[in-house]
Amino acid sequence: MYQDYAYLIVGLPVLAFVLTIFLGWHLPKGGGFFTVLATFAGFILSFGIFREIYPNDEIVHQSMHWFASFNAGILIDPLAIVMLLMVTFVCTLIHTYALGYMDGDPGMARYFAEAGLFTAAMLGLVFSDNLLQLFIFWELVGLCSYLLIGFWYRKPSAASAAKKAFLVTRVGDVMFLAGIVLLYTNMAKLNLVLPEGTYLLQFQTIYDSLNLIPPDQLTWIAVLLFGGAVGKSGQFPLHVWLPDAMEGPTTVSAMIHAATMVTAGVYLVARMFPLFYAAPNGLTVVAYVGAFTALFAATMGLVMFDIKRVLAYSTVSQLGYMMAALGFGAAVGATAVGVSIFHLIGHSFFKALLFLCAGSVIHAVGTNDMREMGGVLKHMKWTGLTMLAGSLTLAGFPLTTGFFSKDQIIVLAFENGAFGLGWIPYVFVILAALLTAIYTFRLWFLTFDGEARSDYHKHESPWIMLGPLVILAIFALFMGMPSQEGFYHYVGNNFDHFGVDFEELAVIGGHHVSHAHVHEPFIIKILPIIIGVGGIIVAALFYSRWKRFDPGLVTSERDPLRKILLKRYYQNEIYTLWFAEKVVYGIALVSNMIDLKIIDGAVNKISAISVGFGGTVRKLQTGVIQNYLTAIVLGVAVLLILIQLASMGVAI
Amino acid sequence: MIPLVLYVLLASAMFTIGLYGLLTQRNGIKLMMCVEILLNSANINLVAFSAYLPNVNGQVFALFSIALAAAEAGVGFAILITLYRLYGTIELDKINALRW
Repeated sequence: MYQDYAYLIVGLPVLAFVLTIFLGWHLPKGGGFFTVLATFAGFILSFGIFREIYPNDEIVHQSMHWFASFNAGILIDPLAIVMLLMVTFVCTLIHTYALGYMDGDPGMARYFAEAGLFTAAMLGLVFSDNLLQLFIFWELVGLCSYLLIGFWYRKPSAASAAKKAFLVTRVGDVMFLAGIVLLYTNMAKLNLVLPEGTYLLQFQTIYDSLNLIPPDQLTWIAVLLFGGAVGKSGQFPLHVWLPDAMEGPTTVSAMIHAATMVTAGVYLVARMFPLFYAAPNGLTVVAYVGAFTALFAATMGLVMFDIKRVLAYSTVSQLGYMMAALGFGAAVGATAVGVSIFHLIGHSFFKALLFLCAGSVIHAVGTNDMREMGGVLKHMKWTGLTMLAGSLTLAGFPLTTGFFSKDQIIVLAFENGAFGLGWIPYVFVILAALLTAIYTFRLWFLTFDGEARSDYHKHESPWIMLGPLVILAIFALFMGMPSQEGFYHYVGNNFDHFGVDFEELAVIGGHHVSHAHVHEPFIIKILPIIIGVGGIIVAALFYSRWKRFDPGLVTSERDPLRKILLKRYYQNEIYTLWFAEKVVYGIALVSNMIDLKIIDGAVNKISAISVGFGGTVRKLQTGVIQNYLTAIVLGVAVLLILIQLASMGVAI
Repeated sequence: MIPLVLYVLLASAMFTIGLYGLLTQRNGIKLMMCVEILLNSANINLVAFSAYLPNVNGQVFALFSIALAAAEAGVGFAILITLYRLYGTIELDKINALRW
């Protein structure tokens, strides 16, 4: 019954968008309750659909013809339903929190309108049943991200961060579009006979025809699609926009740049997993990029002093984990999708929680800089404790959600190595896990522990903000334990609904499917626990009230390593000064010249010739009747002479 | 009886004079007069041929033509008077507001 109203999951937030953007100015709280209610209704609907399809392991598929050979449709399979539940649930809580956080901002109506539009676009992205529709919603969430990062557009840094996010993700989006085009051309070449109601770019059709497309083409398609995912999910080297995106309101960071939109890239790779699996080396690229990003971003998270930037780098790093987990599918098959998406869901709970807590602290203290905080726990008990819950699960403290999901990814990394696909990703993710624990608790201790380091405002946030924090904290801590086995099974078998034959695809992709159980030494099994707890202890020794060492002991101000980290590996210098200003600006100058001189020049020249010719010729039309008359008389005279000559027999 | 060729010669001479005046003159009144001469050369032809054929149709046409010329003169002079009031001249090459 609920599934007949599946379209309302997107429809209601769109309605909320329309209502808030037109009426929000006249309503209390900018009409934010429309957005909250619409998103909550989406959650109820999603939950109803989940209750209907879960027991019999069904999927929902509705589709209608759109134009030419394309369709619009809704596909709710296990992969989509868990994303729908997560997005609607987390977004409802974040919108509720925003009612308190954004209170008093003159642009509140605009905020809730854009947030509603974003929610609609994200949900539409998740339940699309074909790649083209997914791409449209993909662009739409990118637009909302741009609008919301630049929400305080009068601040130059926010405006430029929004521009940066838009431009950098555009690089990925172009690759994504190129991937779609390449896939489409390859599929069109097959001359498939499509049954009534099926279309070329539908996921079902794509999965079915993977074994017909040449493998080298598959690799190109996979790499291009992965390029889109790299841009959206902030993977190296296109991660630079994500930390800058923290210029937006904290709720935006929590919603778009932690919980939902940035996971769209992971979702895309998960959705196209059979294609990546069939593409030779496709998943290896994913694994290496993901694992490298996980470590790379974690190192930068270590030295940041802006509370939101630490979390931003943490997000990049965790997204790297999810990507890497998908990449390890080369060794373990579709199980990797379950593991990756489980980390995605868990991450969106605890990272949304962490961002909202950070927002609560910023709201009260009035600064982002951790050096000016310290001892906040005394004044903000609820915020501090919920943030502790989020930090524990991010650091992978045993029995929390983050522990299970990350542990499983590390196990996959180990199996990946054991299957002879390289130990480097394993080393990367293990090191990143250690750094994660350290920077997370460095953040917590610097903010909440110790003595106040500046004279900040001391008050706890209102309950409309604390309520979502408590709910998220409960989920972040305890969601993992009861659900993990069932989750891996449910989402891991997602592609059985489409009849994807992974054994056949493995042959195309050149994977050696081995069902042999990999023996893990005891030390490998407990290593994640040691690392998680050890990292927390290290952070405590350096930054808490039980401080034993001064951070300056390990790194001094002049330490080159620290300098490189603080400078963020000179990425800004490389990207902005070298790449953007030298290379891109040079190309732009040349293009501008070509445009002005050659293209515009040709057009202008042609029009100038016409104008000149016309200007000359129109002088013939003097407007003086006598001139015309002269012409007539002359013409008649010539005619008469000719007739006369003709009648005299002269050959003319 | 005067031979027909003399009438035709007279008409041709009048036509040529009228045409010459139309092509060379700039004064509106003179142009009107030239047009009248042109019309009347045609009338002479009509009447002459009508008398020689003999067929009265040509003389009827000549009467129509004279009536037409009267109407034409009325409208033409009215325009010239209006132009004179506007521009203070009836030299037609001075009246060039719509020219490029």
